[in-house]
Order: sequence, then C-alpha cells, then structure tokens
Amino acid sequence: MIGEARQAPGGGRMSVGQIERELGKLRTNDDGTLALRSSVLNLIVVTDEESAQEITASVSKLAGRHPARAVVFISDPEGESNVDVRLSAFCNVRGGGAQVCAEQVTIHAEGPPARHLESLAGPLLIPDLPVFLWYPGEFSPRSLEFAAMADLADRIIVDSAASENHETCLREIAALIEDPEMPAIGDLQWVGLSPWRSLLADTFEAPERAGDLQKIESAEILYAPGGENRALLLVGWLASTLGWRPESRNGGGQNLEFSGPSGWISVVLSPDSPDARLRRIRLYSPDYSFQVSRHRALSDVRTTVMRGDELLAERTVHLGSFDLGVLVGEELRYRGHDEAYEGSLRKTVEILDL
Amino acid sequence: MADTHVLQNVLRDEQRLPRVPEPGVMVIFGASGDLTSRKLVPALYDLAAQRRLPLEFAVVGISRTEMSHEEFRGRLRKTLEEQRSGEVSDDVWESFSNGIFYMPGDSKKAETYDELKELLKKLDSERGTQGNRAFYLSSSPSLFPAIVENLGEVGLNKGENGGWSRLVVEKPFGRDLRSAQDLNAELQRYFDEIQIYRIDHYLGKETVQNILALRFANGIFEPLWNQHYVDHVQITVAEDIGVGTRGAFYEEAGAMRDIVQNHVMQVLCLTAMEPPVTFDAESVREEKVKVLRAVRSIPEDEVENYAVRGQYVRGWVFGEEVPGYREEENVDPESVTETFVALKLFVDNWRWARVPFYIRAGKRLPKKATEVAIQFHSSPHTPFAHDETESLAPNVLVVRIQPEEGLSLKIGAKVPGAGFEVSSVNMDLLYGTAFLEEAPDAYQRLLLDLMLGDPTLFIRADEAEGAWRILDPVMDHWSEKREVSFYPAGTWGPEAADALLERDGREWRRP
Repeated sequence: MIGEARQAPGGGRMSVGQIERELGKLRTNDDGTLALRSSVLNLIVVTDEESAQEITASVSKLAGRHPARAVVFISDPEGESNVDVRLSAFCNVRGGGAQVCAEQVTIHAEGPPARHLESLAGPLLIPDLPVFLWYPGEFSPRSLEFAAMADLADRIIVDSAASENHETCLREIAALIEDPEMPAIGDLQWVGLSPWRSLLADTFEAPERAGDLQKIESAEILYAPGGENRALLLVGWLASTLGWRPESRNGGGQNLEFSGPSGWISVVLSPDSPDARLRRIRLYSPDYSFQVSRHRALSDVRTTVMRGDELLAERTVHLGSFDLGVLVGEELRYRGHDEAYEGSLRKTVEILDL
Repeated sequence: MADTHVLQNVLRDEQRLPRVPEPGVMVIFGASGDLTSRKLVPALYDLAAQRRLPLEFAVVGISRTEMSHEEFRGRLRKTLEEQRSGEVSDDVWESFSNGIFYMPGDSKKAETYDELKELLKKLDSERGTQGNRAFYLSSSPSLFPAIVENLGEVGLNKGENGGWSRLVVEKPFGRDLRSAQDLNAELQRYFDEIQIYRIDHYLGKETVQNILALRFANGIFEPLWNQHYVDHVQITVAEDIGVGTRGAFYEEAGAMRDIVQNHVMQVLCLTAMEPPVTFDAESVREEKVKVLRAVRSIPEDEVENYAVRGQYVRGWVFGEEVPGYREEENVDPESVTETFVALKLFVDNWRWARVPFYIRAGKRLPKKATEVAIQFHSSPHTPFAHDETESLAPNVLVVRIQPEEGLSLKIGAKVPGAGFEVSSVNMDLLYGTAFLEEAPDAYQRLLLDLMLGDPTLFIRADEAEGAWRILDPVMDHWSEKREVSFYPAGTWGPEAADALLERDGREWRRP
C-alpha cells in the first residue's frame, strides 16, 4: 500500500470548528489541490497511555480496507482536568496524482472530561456513516460512561482476553448481548477463531464424513496463556452448533463433559507453550480423527483427517494474520448481530456456570 | 451411505465463514502452456493458501509434452517463485502440489481419455474428490471440438457417482457468428449449457463488476440513465502497448476479435442493460442478451458510416519511439489487420432509442484507459449571457474502469468574481482508491466461482453469438475491402474515427 502520514502541528484544546478546519488543511496537497476525504465508517477507540502507540498504529493500518474518521481517546479519568487534541491524516496517492485521505483525531482526555468522552466524540462523527466503538483493553460495561458511549455506537468491539479475569469478562459481554438497548457486540477473541472454525468445517465437507459430526465422542484443545477465551468460545461454538448440553466441569475447569445426540462427549482443554493462543484442535468420532494444528514457528496450519493410522486427507495452508489491525478490520465488516457468536457465547457461559 | 449424503455440514452453515467449494478436481488441457503456469496455478495456489479451496482438491494437467508429476510441479513452482520473488511458503506449496498431477497425452486420441478417466477415479478414492470435475480448455481452440467429443464419449461429461462435471472455455469463442455457433453446437452435443463456463477474465475484474454496483446500488443515477437525459455514450478501451511478441496471434485476430467481441461488448452490456431482478446467473445474463439483441444491425453496404478500422504506424508513445504494426515481429509487411476499431451502435429499445453508443478500442494509443462516458443533453435554456457560458460544456458522467477506478462528473459552476461567468468543473470520486487495498486477481475470482458452480460472471452461448451477430457484417465488409486507415502510434486513432463523430456534430473525449 502506498501512503503518506500527515500530522498537523500544534495541539492543545481545539473547538469542533477548528478541528474540522485543520483536518481540511491536512488534506491540502503541496501543489494546493485538495485531496478527497474517503470514509466508510466512524471508528471511536478508547484506550490508555500505555497502549496508545500500538493502537494508533493499528488504526492507521485499517485505513486500507476501512477508510474512516477515527477518533482515538487516550483516557485517564484520574488526572488533572485536561483535553489535548492532535490531528493526523493518512493519504494515499494513486494514478494521476489524485489523493484520498482518511483522518484521525487523537484526544488525550484527563480528569473529568475523561468521564464524558461521548460529549467529545459525538460532534466529531461524520454524519450518515455507521459508528464503531472499540475498546482494545479493559472496559467497564456497567459504568455510566460505557452506556453513554454505547449510545453513540452501531457496533461495539471488545477483546475479552484483555481483562485480568477472562471468565468474568465473558459473562459481562453475555449480559450485554441480552440487553435490548445495546448495539451489536463483537469480541476479537471470536474473530481470531474464524480461520480455525473454517478449517475444522472443511474436514467435514466430504459427504461420507458429515454424518460424523453427530458422532463426536471427544475433543482436545491445546491453548496458550491468553488463549483461554478462544478455547472456551470454540467449545461453546461446537456445543451450540452440534447440540451438546454441558453436564460437568472438573479438573480446574479443564475437563468438560457434554451430553449430545448420540451419547457423551468429553472435552479436554490443555494449556500449552505460550507461542500461539490456539495450538491444536482434535475431534474424535468412532471411525475418524480430525486435527487442525499450528506449526510451532510458522504462520501455517496443517489439517489432517485420519482413520486409525491411515491418513485420508492432509493439507497445509496459511493460517492468516492475527495482527490486531486485521482482527479489528474483520469486525468492521459486520454491522448487525452475529448470531453464531452470540449462540456460542451463551453456551460458553452455560459451561462456566457448571 | 445413502442417508449420510443428506447430512449437512452444520459447522459451515454460517454467514461469517467463507463459502468453500465441494471437493473436486480441475483438469487443465494445454497444461504446458503459459496460461497454466502464469495465471491458473498461481490463482489456485493463492486460493488454497487463503483456505478458499476444499481439503479434497486436485489438479490434473494434460498436454503432449512428456513430463513426470515432479517435473510438472517443478515448472509450476519456478514460475510462481519468479512472480512472487521467492515468497512462496515451502509447506503450503508442498501440500498444494501434492495434489497436482500430470498426464502426458494427445488430446485427439481416445485412449488419452480412458487413461484420464482411470486417473480421476483413482483420485476420487485416494484424495476424496467425490466425482466432481472441472475441465479447463486452455489448449489451442482448434482442439476444443476433439477434446469435448472425447470427454463426452468416455462419459466424463457427467460427474462420477452423482458428482458434477463442468467445462471451461477460454476466448476466442469462435472467429465469427458461424464458427461460434458451430463451436457452441459442438460443446452442447456433450455438455448442457449450464455446465459450460465461457471465461472472459474482464468480468472477473472488480472494476468491471463495479459498473453493476454503481448502477444498481445507487438510486440517483438510474433515473437519468436513458434517452430522456443521455445524448450519447462513449466507451473507450485503450492500450498504450503494441502487439509485442503476439504478432502471429494478432494477425489472425485483430482488435475486433481480440478486444471488441468480448471485453468491449461486455462493458456495453453492463452499461446498457436493464436492472436484473436478482443477481443470479440467469437473470443477469438474460438482461445482457437482451441488450445484444436490441443492437441495431449494421447493413453491409453502410459499414463505412458506422465503423472505422485503423492500424498504427511508427510514432511516439510517452517519450519513446515505437515501430509501426507492419514492422512488428511475425506481422505481414502488407497486413491490413486492424489494431484500432471505432463503431457507432444503436441499442433499439425503450431506454436507449436514438442514443448513439460510440465505441473505440485500440493499441498504441496515448495511454491505457478504459472508461464509459455518459454524455448528457445540454441544459435546455441558460439564463446567463452567451459570452459568460462559452466554457460551459454539457454534463458528463464518466465511469472509469482503469487505471484509476472511479467516477467523474462534469458540472457547471460559477467562476468567482463579478458578473455571472459559468464554467465546467470536474468532480472526481475515485471509489477505487477509497478502498486502498489491491483487488484480487480476476482469475482467482473466476476459478472460485467455477468451483462453487456460479456462472454469473461467465458468458452464455447466446451472449457470445449475440456479440458476433453485431460485428459480423463489419468484419465481412472489411475482409472484402482490404483497406485500413493509419494512425501514428501515440495518437487517438485515425482521422476517420474523428469524422465518425464529427458527422453527428460530436467529438471524442480525451480520456
């Protein structure tokens, strides 16, 4: 991608009018022509000082597929009252020198203003475009601040692994999806499962094996620290799709039992080395074993279907990127409720409740 | 076994997971050719690496060259590495290429097909390809009838055990109406039309598909898209390159067969068609065929008034002196093959009555540009003084397909200052650059559609024939009258092309 990042000088507290004017100036090219603004959505991000740099980098990468007006809040409700606005644009040149820019407004909000971010975000949104609200880190779904921000949004993106207590976080998100006042919610841990789910589905594409989905007897999932929620959501997905009912949870939450259409299913979640959040999934039916397994050092993943010792099908493909920007970009493609996710999350909470 | 077939893969039953085709084999005839190594296999490799192909997938290459599976795989990998400057994953290639097989064989001989049938059966049992096959004809068109007949005679025109069988045909779809009808009859002797996928890679381009999105996803353009508001339409498909090493091929084809019959006619159809009821293959193709049927026939004795052919002579393109067509490699020094075509067509239906469609396509024009320009009528009356509106031109909406995809609208605006001087201003919207990412390769899109069984972006028999029916009288006239107008390389075609519009009081746009 060819692109150019432009920064406006200065900063400090600015009015909405000043911000719009300065953003307009950022789109002015050296030769006096004006680059177009290109935007398909508004993206509001709420983060803290510590993660700000990584998040800002991800946001500028998103400009490729999802050109947006991004409003990034670096929020510290504890500090002295202060608002500081920085403006930048990411511009792309193509063909005959024509330029298109995506814009970013970065606002440091400290003290009381940090508890009223909606008052800063609202006037900066581009009309007629959907609003995505992204919390890359911890968030407090029961706070008034969260509710006020959620009011502005058409969809909220969270990361259930960013929280210290990942199980509580899943429960809180599950409570949000039951709240009719809330917009649709997406979890980056779920997005990270998409390639795994697709690869697993591939192994049942042969008609003679599709029937084995109803005969799964056991499953093993290897995950790394930080991958607990991915592993849990994967089990939740299998259970909700295949009609498994959670029955018991033992061994520190790692041994699960379900009752399914053709008997009991046991699932073992095992922690593994920390290099990949999910490392391997295996499903066993009476006749076959199905495995999707990540290479230790590579971005590739190998899928196999075995009958006893006989290798029936094998394939290695790219697993795809789990870069933060890629995961968020994937979420930005969806506007409405993701029923598969919501069903899987409900089932996951049923498991946690055992 | 029978009841397991009706069981669905519930894991796949979800909007957010990509659709993956059923297991299957792609058989490529003419596999030692360039198209296989440069386009087809790289597209399949990318699809495989991006998890868009089924786990049970195989490729079988056939051509006369003696080669082992390993040699074939090695050749394909070499080309891929050259294209990707070494960025080919060993593991992914290894696993993908394990499913690539090569079978030396003469496609005119029946025994080749017995052997192929055995190989495919073996793959069904060893690689689980489920009796589904797509046959890709990438060989010389002269072999198409023999291949199709042989496939039919050994029963490969039907999938094995309830599987499917599909046939992919590369352009040219014949040389004229008669040969296209003959070819279609040959294909349809053994394959039903629904099994036949005629590929025009132009339709796989995102930018071409965007014409449909622009027209049918936006409410504001369609009300203007007719003879009440449109004065005329100009379609330009310009290339700045010459024939290069393809001289021998081009001598046989010319711009009419190479570009106009397929790419240009497709763009015409997408521009002029009525909104399809749904975006399925038959609805979309039905509307395209209706456009071709509505195009007024050019009487053979009036060809001169409707068509111009040109050929480039030595000239300058972007600061470089380039040879004339007759000086190119493998070109007859007295050749009258056209490298430029201009046409005036009418689409005789309610929407487009009396609106001329001016079409031009050629090589060695000043720049590479593909666009559709909708020129609107002038405003019926301007209240401003005549000398203040001199630089005001009628509104033009340009749909640009390449190189910078986008829309451009020419509107009148007041020039700042005293008085009321009004001038035309171009407003450009580059929706292509609004999304900064590169679009996927056209072949990737089309091969995936083929495997998924979606022929929307492929050409139906009556479309191919409909396009020839329009062009046949012109080509007949040209082949009798062996004359061609010349234009210097780096200009917008011969003077006769300008005259074609001047007679109507119009002129070509500069793209």
